Amino acid sequence: MNGLPFQRLLARVLLVGVLVSAALIAAGFFGSLVVGWRGSLLGATPLDETITDFGNLGADLLVLRPLAIAQLGILVLIGTPVVRVMVTVVEFFQERDAIYTAITAAVLAILLTSLFVIR
Amino acid sequence: MELSAGASAGLFAISILAGVLGSLAGVGGGLIVIPVLTVIYGVDIHLAIGASIVSVIATSSGAAVAYVRDGLSNLRIGMVLELATTLGAVVGAVVAGSVPAAPLETILGVVLVGTAAAQVLRLTDSGAPGSREPNVWADRLRLTGSYTGVGGVRRDYVAQRLPVGMALMGFAGAISGLLGIGSGALKVLALDTAMRLPMKVSTATSNFMIGVTAAASAGIYLGRGDIDVRIAAPVALGILAGALAGARILPRLRDRVVRVAFIPVLAVIGGEMLIRGLGVNL
Repeated sequence: MNGLPFQRLLARVLLVGVLVSAALIAAGFFGSLVVGWRGSLLGATPLDETITDFGNLGADLLVLRPLAIAQLGILVLIGTPVVRVMVTVVEFFQERDAIYTAITAAVLAILLTSLFVIR
Repeated sequence: MELSAGASAGLFAISILAGVLGSLAGVGGGLIVIPVLTVIYGVDIHLAIGASIVSVIATSSGAAVAYVRDGLSNLRIGMVLELATTLGAVVGAVVAGSVPAAPLETILGVVLVGTAAAQVLRLTDSGAPGSREPNVWADRLRLTGSYTGVGGVRRDYVAQRLPVGMALMGFAGAISGLLGIGSGALKVLALDTAMRLPMKVSTATSNFMIGVTAAASAGIYLGRGDIDVRIAAPVALGILAGALAGARILPRLRDRVVRVAFIPVLAVIGGEMLIRGLGVNL
């Protein structure tokens, strides 16, 4: 089980996740040095809301706010291990490995609970 | 807090140093950057931890790419133990939300000093080949594997004492969630000392587990508003860049003794944290 092709797939998930998130966080960070975290690279009105709120991401991304770009990068980064575990669940399921499908699904459940339920 | 562009750039630069220093000393950058943020920048320790946990995911996932691709990480052992580390991380992250700064600083100080001691011990470790004794848990969950050792010899190994390993991993996860660090030293301790895995496999499997463990607590820090991008972005980028640079410098430091030079730095920072945490007036 878990031959090298599967390990290569996992390695690729990790690599893409880290590269995409690092690029987004870097874009947000360097953008912030130019227009400030709450500003906009498209010249929209600066924000005055709390900066740790990830709630209004969509609208803020549209006007290229450094804050929102970096926040998206952080979400991609946190999501990378989650996707890695999802891929592992699917792999064990396809191998009809009941014990390991259950174990990896339980880890996934803990991760999703921590992300969406616990505050 | 409002950071000027200069302070932001300074944060980035100092995080690069933390990443380089961390990788040369054999620890993650978080252990170093949290004290720097709280002591030098006066950042609230909860926000420093939030920034650190993000950087932990970045560096461990980045490093895991090579380990996983080469098949050095044992996926089955890692996934079983992740049950314990993620649960521990959730508990640690929830608890951290209601613990004041001083106790967190004290615990961080203890972990830093302990890690420095563990790193010194590891310098003299010859890298045991791992155990091959069959046992009930390893048999039931197929916790076995093989890797290519010194001289290209294929070596088999069998994980020992899973219950002890799980308990230690739960603790490692809790410390990771509480302080926003990877707690790789504790994970490696569980894998090679308790479960008797070969050193190379321990290191690779620990690295593979750190990202998943950190993601479990990062979600909680994020939901609580403890991940402030103004701090987390420069810190995560800096540590990632620093760790990558450190990984390139490391192979050139042939003499292990050179690494000893970096370890006392950990102990000094740990002492500083202990003094702050315990409120000792010197």
